[in-house]
Amino acid sequence: MTNLVAINYGAHKHLKIDTAKTQEHSATQNMLPVVVAEFSQVSVQHPIVLAKSGETGEFTLTALLGFEQHENLFSKDGQWQGVYIPLQLQRQPFFVGDIQTEVAGDYAVCINLDSPSIVRDLAQNNVNDIQILFTESGEDSDYFVKMKQCLGYLLQGEIENKALIDTLLALNLVQPLSLDVTFCNKQSSRLNGLYTVSEEKVAALDPEQIGRLHKAQQLKPIYTMINSLGQLYPLIERKNQQLVSVND
Amino acid sequence: MKQQEKSINTVIVVGGGIAGWLTAGRLAAEHKSNTDVGVKVTLVESPNVPIIGVGEGTWPTMRSTLIALGISETDFICECDASFKQGAKFAQWVDGGEDDYYYHPLVLPQGFTKTDMAGYWLNDSEQSSSFSNAVCFQEALCEQGLAPKTIRTPEYGAVANYAYHLDSAKFAVFLQKHCIENLGVTHILADVTKVNSIENGDIGSLTTKQAGNISGDLFVDCSGFSSLLLGGHYQVPFKSYRDVLFIDTALAVQVPYENDCSPIASHTISTAQEAGWIWDIGLQHRRGVGYVYSSKHSTEAQARARLADYIGDKIDSLTIRKIPIESGHRSHFWQNNCVAVGLSAGFLEPLEASALVLVEMSAQMISEQLPPTREVMDITAKRFNDTFLYRWGKIIDFLKLHYILSKRTDNAFWIDNRDPQTIPQSLQDLMQLWQYRAPADYDFASNNEVFPAASYQYVLYGMGFKSDYSNSPHLLNDKTFAQSQFTKNKQMIQQAITTLPSNRELLNKIKLHGLSTI
Repeated sequence: MTNLVAINYGAHKHLKIDTAKTQEHSATQNMLPVVVAEFSQVSVQHPIVLAKSGETGEFTLTALLGFEQHENLFSKDGQWQGVYIPLQLQRQPFFVGDIQTEVAGDYAVCINLDSPSIVRDLAQNNVNDIQILFTESGEDSDYFVKMKQCLGYLLQGEIENKALIDTLLALNLVQPLSLDVTFCNKQSSRLNGLYTVSEEKVAALDPEQIGRLHKAQQLKPIYTMINSLGQLYPLIERKNQQLVSVND
Repeated sequence: MKQQEKSINTVIVVGGGIAGWLTAGRLAAEHKSNTDVGVKVTLVESPNVPIIGVGEGTWPTMRSTLIALGISETDFICECDASFKQGAKFAQWVDGGEDDYYYHPLVLPQGFTKTDMAGYWLNDSEQSSSFSNAVCFQEALCEQGLAPKTIRTPEYGAVANYAYHLDSAKFAVFLQKHCIENLGVTHILADVTKVNSIENGDIGSLTTKQAGNISGDLFVDCSGFSSLLLGGHYQVPFKSYRDVLFIDTALAVQVPYENDCSPIASHTISTAQEAGWIWDIGLQHRRGVGYVYSSKHSTEAQARARLADYIGDKIDSLTIRKIPIESGHRSHFWQNNCVAVGLSAGFLEPLEASALVLVEMSAQMISEQLPPTREVMDITAKRFNDTFLYRWGKIIDFLKLHYILSKRTDNAFWIDNRDPQTIPQSLQDLMQLWQYRAPADYDFASNNEVFPAASYQYVLYGMGFKSDYSNSPHLLNDKTFAQSQFTKNKQMIQQAITTLPSNRELLNKIKLHGLSTI
């Protein structure tokens, strides 16, 4: 559930967030949107692929977390199992709101009041995980400052993501990724609707095109995406381990 | 190349309707008219003759045609008021009752290539579903107004096979722009006043009122009903089929939607009337509706009344266009260095949207088989004539099939249609065979087939025809497999109706976001 409201000191000065529970948001997601700026960290953990938005059909950059529709192999008992936490998960339960503010280009920071991380009864929570938004003097808390930074990276990331996707499409480098995986229990899974960067087509670009990609700082993310497909094997292994432990 | 051979370097297309632009476009795309070495394609269009603009329904072939022309599907949909068409619903054709309808969808029956599903369906004692609904998931999509794909599906890609409904006037303008700007077609606005022959009887040039003489090596007659070159100049006779297909008049009208959210049907609706049938085609911004009828079996006043019954009160504010029509075609289509495409070649009632598909097929064959020299043109001409005489014949048979299976007795129109004297022998022969088995691929074994056996099955069994397998029960001994196919179809219906958006919703999204090319 989402119940988004813009944050203001008056209404939210007593609000407490249990950071141990923010990761429950991804428990049933098999994909998590990522931004170019975090490719290096994400790519040592997840395949980074392209998928299409169901709403607009436009390409998005996303980390693959599982093989079935609601399978997140990086989530166990509501806890994130990876070393790196993608920005989309770090920023929970905060959002950048579409709410109109008076200053153009300014955005409202919103919070999802239905998030499981909103503390309702302190007795239910581990006190070490609790964070507040505002100090007693009304300043943003260190935690809240960090969350706002996180949202800032994501906003900036949208622009970089779009530029990279536009480049990939303009150079005709995107190709469908068809995945047929058979797991240790002989059960197989087919993933449709995913796309990746064609290594052959990148290799066939002329030096001038490569030069332009390099200048635009897009060459590295392109190769990072290609290399990240190697993370499919650890992901399959994760699934196999899960299947084995279920059978034990 | 031998020195004395005359090469075909210049093609002149006469007529600026859809037939003209589609043919010019296919030729120009195939033969690289936008380069110095390509064949030169010129389209001459009268500034004074409006285009007829018949045919708002296509076949799925239009997708490959648009791809061959290098057209973006998003542009096409946005600029031609186009919508998706997943086949046709025939209402009240069998007995005229309220619940009398069947579908001719565009997806082949489930298991069609592996076994005779029609046979199993006919002999299923627990038969609970219509033929098309039992073997094809598309009827359910049409009944629920769903699109054949999602915003994630690439251009020209499909979840369910589809064709288009389009605004033919806008389509002609769209094609013209693309042909001139991207494909290198030269456009001349001029009235042809005289056709100039050379010694061997070929057309050497056309004299025009505004642009002088225009000479060429091959002339494509897309001049519409007037058939300026083939019918006018060469006097190739028109062979009428009015004794087979009685319809001779159309009353056409454009009907606005109630509002911006009104559903857009994703199929053509053909509703039988006392002396013909009414077409109903949903575009993005309006519907195209028309009554085609036999003037021998209905007065114009009666016909207008039927159209008013169908459309309702708002018909009073709409303009009805009356168009005389006659089903038939020229006795041949390619004479000397002149070939006719579109209405100049012939016309058939629009029951199965055959007008545009014949244009596409003609344009494709002319461009792919374009004779490199005049010396070999007569061979191509003969092959073209054989191919298209066969195709016109097959379409006439298939259209007639819709009438002979009707049980309607409300007007002599329906009774006369079942008179064996009016049924082509070729169709009568097939009907004899189908008494004992379903239509099969070998019944349609030519390379030039228009309708596959599956289409005949949809019409036959949709209209309640029974094939009697009692002489050959061994043909139906794998009931388990057939059952698995029926089950699979049910699953596909469930999956499709939960994932596909409504036709209008998808069209709105395409206008906002476009479809991706991959």
